[in-house]
Amino acid sequence: MKPKKGNNRIVIPIGPQHPSLKEPGCFRITLEGEKVVHAEIDIGYNHRGLEKACESRNYIQTLYLIERVCGICSHTHSTAFCQGIEELAGLSIPPRAAYIRVIVSELERLHSHLLWLGVAGHEIGFDTLFMYSWRDREKVLDVLAEVCGNRVNYGINTIGGVRRDLDESMQQNIAKVIAFLEDQLKYYLDLALTDPTLSARLAGIGKLSREDALKYGAVGPVARAAGIMEDIRIIEPYAAYIEVPVKPVTDTRADVLGRTVVRIQEMLESLEIIGYCLKNLPGGELTVKAPRRIPAGEVISRTEAPRGENIHFIRANGTDILDRVRVRAPTEANWHGMKHMLEGEYLADVPITIAAIDPCYSCADRAIVINSERKTEMMDWQGLREYSIDWYKKRGLDLSAVKMPERKIYI
Amino acid sequence: MLSALTKILVFPGFLFMSAYGLFLEYLDRKVYARLQHRSGPPWYQPLADFLKLLGKETIIPANANQRMFRILPVISLSAVATAFIYVPVLAKAPSASFEGDLIIVLYLLTIPTVSLFLAGWYSRSVYATIGSVRTLTQMFAYEVPLFMALLAPALIAQTWSVTGMAEFYSQNPLYHLLNIPAFFVALISGQGKLERAPFDLPEAETEIVAGPLVEYSGKLLAIFKMSAVCELVLIASLISAVFLPLMTGNPLLDFLLYLIKTMAVLLFLALLRSAMARLRMDQMIKFCWRILTPIAVVQIIINLVIRGVL
Amino acid sequence: MQAEQKIVAQLVKKFAFLQERIFVQRQKRIFTLPLVKEEFEQVLPYLHAELGFAKASLVVGTDDGDDLGFIYILSNREGIILALKEKTPKSDPRIKTVTDLFPALALHERELVNLFGAVVEGLPGDSSFPLPDGWPEGSYPMRKDWNPQYFDQETMTYNPPSQEVEKEGGNE
Repeated sequence: MKPKKGNNRIVIPIGPQHPSLKEPGCFRITLEGEKVVHAEIDIGYNHRGLEKACESRNYIQTLYLIERVCGICSHTHSTAFCQGIEELAGLSIPPRAAYIRVIVSELERLHSHLLWLGVAGHEIGFDTLFMYSWRDREKVLDVLAEVCGNRVNYGINTIGGVRRDLDESMQQNIAKVIAFLEDQLKYYLDLALTDPTLSARLAGIGKLSREDALKYGAVGPVARAAGIMEDIRIIEPYAAYIEVPVKPVTDTRADVLGRTVVRIQEMLESLEIIGYCLKNLPGGELTVKAPRRIPAGEVISRTEAPRGENIHFIRANGTDILDRVRVRAPTEANWHGMKHMLEGEYLADVPITIAAIDPCYSCADRAIVINSERKTEMMDWQGLREYSIDWYKKRGLDLSAVKMPERKIYI
Repeated sequence: MLSALTKILVFPGFLFMSAYGLFLEYLDRKVYARLQHRSGPPWYQPLADFLKLLGKETIIPANANQRMFRILPVISLSAVATAFIYVPVLAKAPSASFEGDLIIVLYLLTIPTVSLFLAGWYSRSVYATIGSVRTLTQMFAYEVPLFMALLAPALIAQTWSVTGMAEFYSQNPLYHLLNIPAFFVALISGQGKLERAPFDLPEAETEIVAGPLVEYSGKLLAIFKMSAVCELVLIASLISAVFLPLMTGNPLLDFLLYLIKTMAVLLFLALLRSAMARLRMDQMIKFCWRILTPIAVVQIIINLVIRGVL
Repeated sequence: MQAEQKIVAQLVKKFAFLQERIFVQRQKRIFTLPLVKEEFEQVLPYLHAELGFAKASLVVGTDDGDDLGFIYILSNREGIILALKEKTPKSDPRIKTVTDLFPALALHERELVNLFGAVVEGLPGDSSFPLPDGWPEGSYPMRKDWNPQYFDQETMTYNPPSQEVEKEGGNE
């Protein structure tokens, strides 16, 4: 590729494999010096045909498939799906289940935003922030693993309620974690607002004004950082959000710094919500019985994912297999403004601008419930280790001598 | 003859520099990790990394310039090794010294940067090209304050030799306090020279993958990495020789002091690395020209005036 | 519910053909029955310009037997969702792009082309999204008659059993 005379342009591909992207996506950036003059976005590398697969499975199987739309915000997808089915079947879930859904969804928001904060730090070469926030995120994941059995893909929702209860010790552990996080988050907020290199790299980058955000249909923290109050928890309360007070968080900066501040403040708000839920957790049943066949009908179900508005369209046809499900994940809505945000920026700001909408990517999960020969058993950490040692022994590898560092969970 | 060769190749020359460089790299990584609440690597990690790279296959891109691609890492390493000869490690006796060797050291210091630029340029990859352009742009930003900061103390000492300066300041330790602003300018622009965060733009991983070195692998990459590590030793030794020349006259004690001084410099550089986000190119240039360079200029004026008074 | 009723009344008043074909499903949800292309093209700009439905979240494509259905999910600033439906026969699956009003729907329309085989008139670009490059032409995976077991991943070809068998299956 020879540059034309007087035209000093160079095309640089960011993706599909690139250190700054944790998911496959391709951004062809045309540069003039260090300035981006043209950006082309090519996504779709991760299409798994999930919606088609749902059309040949029953509702419970579909629920688990839907939960795997995203590794980070899996709870919000299963909540949206369950809500839709419950609405079609005319079920109303027990209050305790509604509260547990909210607690898990706020814990999920915490871990998702902490993950984002770390990634953002890494994108601008601030690895210390990355390590700090991921260290804190680990505590949230530990508590999620204790509550749900998994660090990601929690599997706590079921049609008609939730599958597991929050016992006394779990509640105490959640309370411990939120007390720890409160100090940390206040520190990060202070850091974002006062650290000179951080604000030098974040302020004024990736501008998406209020008008543009409306035009491109931005959702979640991207819209809220532009001053648009778009929070499904407030606009259309679901689960226990009907009773739990949620304060709106918005900002007027409309840039990456604004999105950072919005996310940190949202986490602080999440702590409040979890605290309220723990204090007011009602007793009672966890599930109501759901029918196998769901009456025909159409439903649009919305939840507030960590990344924004999550919409599920479900059409049932009266059998035990659904007719059509369409998942609109929040990232899908935020791609459209990306080109607008990238053009005119410096190359150095491209990774953080892309990261600032928090594009979704999948994470590996660790299952601790195994299902063999129609027998379900639960395994704890130690049991899981013994199981894996046995598994390798059968294949002629003895790993029992490997020492494991002691696992400290809380603070 | 044999003793001179030993001095150049073994101690305090090339071998010592490489070994100490690997140790400093370990220290840097360990401190960086501890500052981030991680446990960090074991002491042999840098050596293990180096040996592993040596054993890896070397791949040269088809459209890269073969000869330049192979020769540049060696040029870079040998320039650093040559410069190290003039820096005192054991007491007042560097391996070689003459009036004006400070200038030679500073010139030799630009060679690794230029070879990095050429390495990226001859790799013919978009990431490497952008990285090497950044390397050169960045050089124009930090080079001026770095040179001025290192030359300012020489004005008072009235010698252009690193050894001579170290000697002068160890006899007149109070003059030292005058040079404190230059000391910090040298430390910060030294960080730029070493291309470490917040000035690691040329190899900004999340933007241009690895910058100029993106196509390098195996032995050639190992040599480049080694030359970067040795550059770290050189900068730390040079700064501690010019700005921290405490000497006792006892070779063993002086060697111990040398270790302490260089490690102190390194700790500062590691702290700088962990406390900041990567700057953008325009911010970096602004910072160097609007803040570092004026401080260095004022320092030179002050030192000229003081020299007139003396 | 009053705001929703008001929107419905206003729409019915403006477009007589919407009589009995638009209803409030529940709070904050308005659904229509499928409209034909000409009707749809009248209603959509009106919703955008006059009733404040300026945000389009998604287009759901559906396979309704002989027709392809498109459900445009729009919302206004109060958070009321209106699901505007359109249908075209599979034999002539032509719709007009809405990206001039709703630029955010470009990727969704691209998806309709790729997955359902709709022909979206006026949609710029021709990239294959979300299916990979080299996907067999004329093979639309989200249609009900497309069966993943006949797709060969190695050669990227879709080999359904012979036409007659398929016809029999269709007649039943």
